[in-house]
Amino acid sequence: MFRLNRELIKYPFYIIMHPFNGFWDLKYDRTQRNNVIISFVILFLLVITNILSSEYSGFLVNLINPNDMNSLMEIAYVVVPVLFWCVANWSLTTLMDGEGKFVDIFTSTCFALVPMIVINFPWIWLSKVISLQETAFYYFFSSFAVFWSLFLLFVGNMTIHQFSPSKTIATILLTVVAMGFIAFICLLFFSLTQQMISFVNVVYKELALRR
Amino acid sequence: MRKSKHTWRALLLTALCCLIGVSLGGTLAYADNGASSYNYSFWGRTVAAPAAYKATTVLDGKMLGIGALKDPTDLHVTTDNQIYVLDSGNNRIVVFDSQFKLIRTIDSFMRDGKQETFNNPQGLFVTPQKQLIIADTGNQRVVELDANLSVIKVIDPPQSDLLNTNFKFQPVRVIADQAHRIYVMSIGVFDGFMEFNQNGEFTSFIGANRVKVDPTELLWKRLSTRAQRSQMVMFTPTEFTNLDINDEGFIYATNGDVWGDTIRKLNAQGNDILRRTGYFNPKGDIRYTTEQGPGRLIDIDVTDSEMYSVLDGARGRVFTYNGDGHFMYMFGGIGNQLGQFKMPVAIERVGDDFLVLDKAFGEITVFKSTEYGRTLNEATRSYYRGDEEKAFELYNKTINMNANLEYAYSGIGKALLRKGEYKEAMHYFEESYDRGNYSKAFLLYRKQVLREHFPTIMTGIVVLVLAAFAARVLWKRKKLSRIRGVSIES
Repeated sequence: MFRLNRELIKYPFYIIMHPFNGFWDLKYDRTQRNNVIISFVILFLLVITNILSSEYSGFLVNLINPNDMNSLMEIAYVVVPVLFWCVANWSLTTLMDGEGKFVDIFTSTCFALVPMIVINFPWIWLSKVISLQETAFYYFFSSFAVFWSLFLLFVGNMTIHQFSPSKTIATILLTVVAMGFIAFICLLFFSLTQQMISFVNVVYKELALRR
Repeated sequence: MRKSKHTWRALLLTALCCLIGVSLGGTLAYADNGASSYNYSFWGRTVAAPAAYKATTVLDGKMLGIGALKDPTDLHVTTDNQIYVLDSGNNRIVVFDSQFKLIRTIDSFMRDGKQETFNNPQGLFVTPQKQLIIADTGNQRVVELDANLSVIKVIDPPQSDLLNTNFKFQPVRVIADQAHRIYVMSIGVFDGFMEFNQNGEFTSFIGANRVKVDPTELLWKRLSTRAQRSQMVMFTPTEFTNLDINDEGFIYATNGDVWGDTIRKLNAQGNDILRRTGYFNPKGDIRYTTEQGPGRLIDIDVTDSEMYSVLDGARGRVFTYNGDGHFMYMFGGIGNQLGQFKMPVAIERVGDDFLVLDKAFGEITVFKSTEYGRTLNEATRSYYRGDEEKAFELYNKTINMNANLEYAYSGIGKALLRKGEYKEAMHYFEESYDRGNYSKAFLLYRKQVLREHFPTIMTGIVVLVLAAFAARVLWKRKKLSRIRGVSIES
């Protein structure tokens, strides 16, 4: 059991260092159940990292109005984009002969987010002991994390769907557009629902107050 | 039944009265501190602040014993606190001492043996030598008189290649620097202030505003035909609305821009050198509804220690900033109560008191500083002088009265930094969101801590390295022996 757990912990680190082999293993060699569990753990850790970052980062790199900080919203900021990305990507790639299943897309996306935890988490504490001149390092590393994650996302997508690089890039761009559409439709849906509810409410009030 | 209902109602009423009373009491205690005044927090929120100034008296012409003022437009206070009021509608200048006792009235002067009068003068300036400079708008001239009211010079409409042939000289505001150059703000001039040399000759324009173009306007202009375009309003730079000069000879000017920098400090070359290191660029109100629109700054008054105040003509508010561009305090408003105006046109400081001239009412409102205002003024002065001990003490007093005044913490922090109390300084800089100084304090603090604990840290590192080395050696030996053991067994 201990061996297994250790292997599970080591695996995300292996994937971020050796993405081509790693994502291949993710799709074909590894148990799906474990992958999904690790993915959720990664998402959870990312949420925790973001919350801690906005709460405890050094003053020099963290000018957030404490009134505007909401830990629950931080969860949404992580989960919603991932969900949108997966749904949009899945919808597109099924049409574009991608070989990935939804689970594959979800797990590969989550594994690609690992650098954002591994790099940003130590920097929460390091940012407390740097000066204004040294914040360049902080910004360098956080953008490095983003680019690393983007690269992993790219490799993951390519491996999962068995696409060529150019096709992957096209898919990713289209996915971003599709995410925009999804967001728009969601907004439309919610505002229409709201309108409908308020309409019913008003009609009810009219009737109730008529007597 | 009926009676019980009655008692119920009575009870309810009393309860309601009590509730209202309690809530009133609560707000009253707060309002006592002057919740009508405000400041802006680092995050751009409006936060309540104690009143720094309170209106004490309103003076009109009758009370001053000079007959009603008619459309007065300008005020000037000399360094020895004599107050000059330009009573434009009556074409005269009234001079008071600091207690508002009439010294004299000036309504004419002798020029070449003839008596001449003013015609709707709009601007007034008094040099430290008590020379009067009057923008005699109706007569299209600027008149300079010495202390005995004899003419030094009269500036008539200038002739210059820089000016249009149909140029009309309508001076409305004037100032003079120590070198006796006169700067004139004239209606319809978009090129800045007109500068006249000692002999009254026009030399150049100074400090023109840049043309600001509204993107939608520009789009319409691009889309329209030449004939349509000729009917449209031309893009011209905004005019200045007022100006003042400080004792170092820098011109402070306000303009009527809707956005951009409405307050400028011009050096001799006409460049804007106003320091804007506050949380917001100084421009009066930063929060307003779209229906109201931004304020319109129409007067500026500079005092010592680089403090300056601007008057927002649209809302009747006076905003004061320190030399770094931090918003110190505001007072005033449009209304009928004491301390409010109908159409304020000019502000001046008499010592630490403020005078606000109301054109519509023909009144002067005197504002006296409160304890809070005095402390803040003095703190700013001490800080400007570099007297950090005193500034520390006064800023501490200030934040005791107004914990929302964020930039004051920075003043305290700087004094602590100078004293070598880096950790406390860091705390105060964090309170005032001053990252630059926080970083400075932090670097010193880090050095201090590292120096103090250098032996411990170094020992720790050496011990760790040794331990790692030893562990490695041991581990290797163990592995070797195991392999050897295995080989022996097989």
